[in-house]
Amino acid sequence: MFNLSKHGRVICSPAAPISCSDFHEIHEWPVQSSEDKEEIIDRVGRLIAGNDESHEFLRQRAALMADEMLENALYCAPRDTSGNQIYAKGEKRSLVPGEEIVLRCAFDGEKLFLEVSDSWGKLSPETVQGYIAINLAHDTSTDRAGRGLYFMWKFMKDFYVNLAPGLKTSVGGFLLLNPDSYEYGAI
Amino acid sequence: MEQQFKIEIQSGTTSDTVHFHGNIDSHADSHFEELNRKISKKMVVFDFSGVGRINSMGIALLLRSIKSIKTEKDAQISIQGVNQINSMLFKMTGIYLLAPETKRL
Repeated sequence: MFNLSKHGRVICSPAAPISCSDFHEIHEWPVQSSEDKEEIIDRVGRLIAGNDESHEFLRQRAALMADEMLENALYCAPRDTSGNQIYAKGEKRSLVPGEEIVLRCAFDGEKLFLEVSDSWGKLSPETVQGYIAINLAHDTSTDRAGRGLYFMWKFMKDFYVNLAPGLKTSVGGFLLLNPDSYEYGAI
Repeated sequence: MEQQFKIEIQSGTTSDTVHFHGNIDSHADSHFEELNRKISKKMVVFDFSGVGRINSMGIALLLRSIKSIKTEKDAQISIQGVNQINSMLFKMTGIYLLAPETKRL
């Protein structure tokens, strides 16, 4: 398991698992196909009850994070034996036998926990660091790999990647209702 | 629930205003292919007031489209109607460097 600092460095390896004991209830929603994505994103949004600007902004960030995490699990994680991506983004697909993708989330009124796990176990610390490094340069390259991971790292507090090589990758962190730092999404 | 993505172009006397509707992600790809050839003015406004979520794939499509219109049509592009999260993404990815934000009249 590793966390990444705001400079993109690995700061904790290994690290203790993030504690979710503060949350009254943790929701687990398995994904069966790419068609489930929007429904699951909607469920995450419905957890964040509140009509003010802070809640709306949290819903916007949560929807984006869930979208990026699920897209990565559905399309970037599956690799063939040569390491090539198996599915193209946007392609409709069902999970293959033995494949698992699960979104876990919880909201305590102040912070939202979000995590997506896949059963491929392909995302190394070096890969994540590399993606964040290339996305830190604001040179407007069009087809830049890892932009979704960069968004997660930018918006989430305690962003982490938990890797069991070849078995499981979990990507997660927290979104704050009232972020006090630009690093986590405050304006 | 997910909004169906669509693009509407309103052609004015001096500018084209491109209204985006729905989420901008990989499903919007084919719509962007059409957009470039429909632009006829040298001033183009991208209006995002009907847009929900823009993910990383949507950002890539927007960057490609903006660069293409600027290069092939020699047009200037400005942006309006962006919500809080999408404005942050535009700052983070340099979209505002290519197409500055303007306030709606």
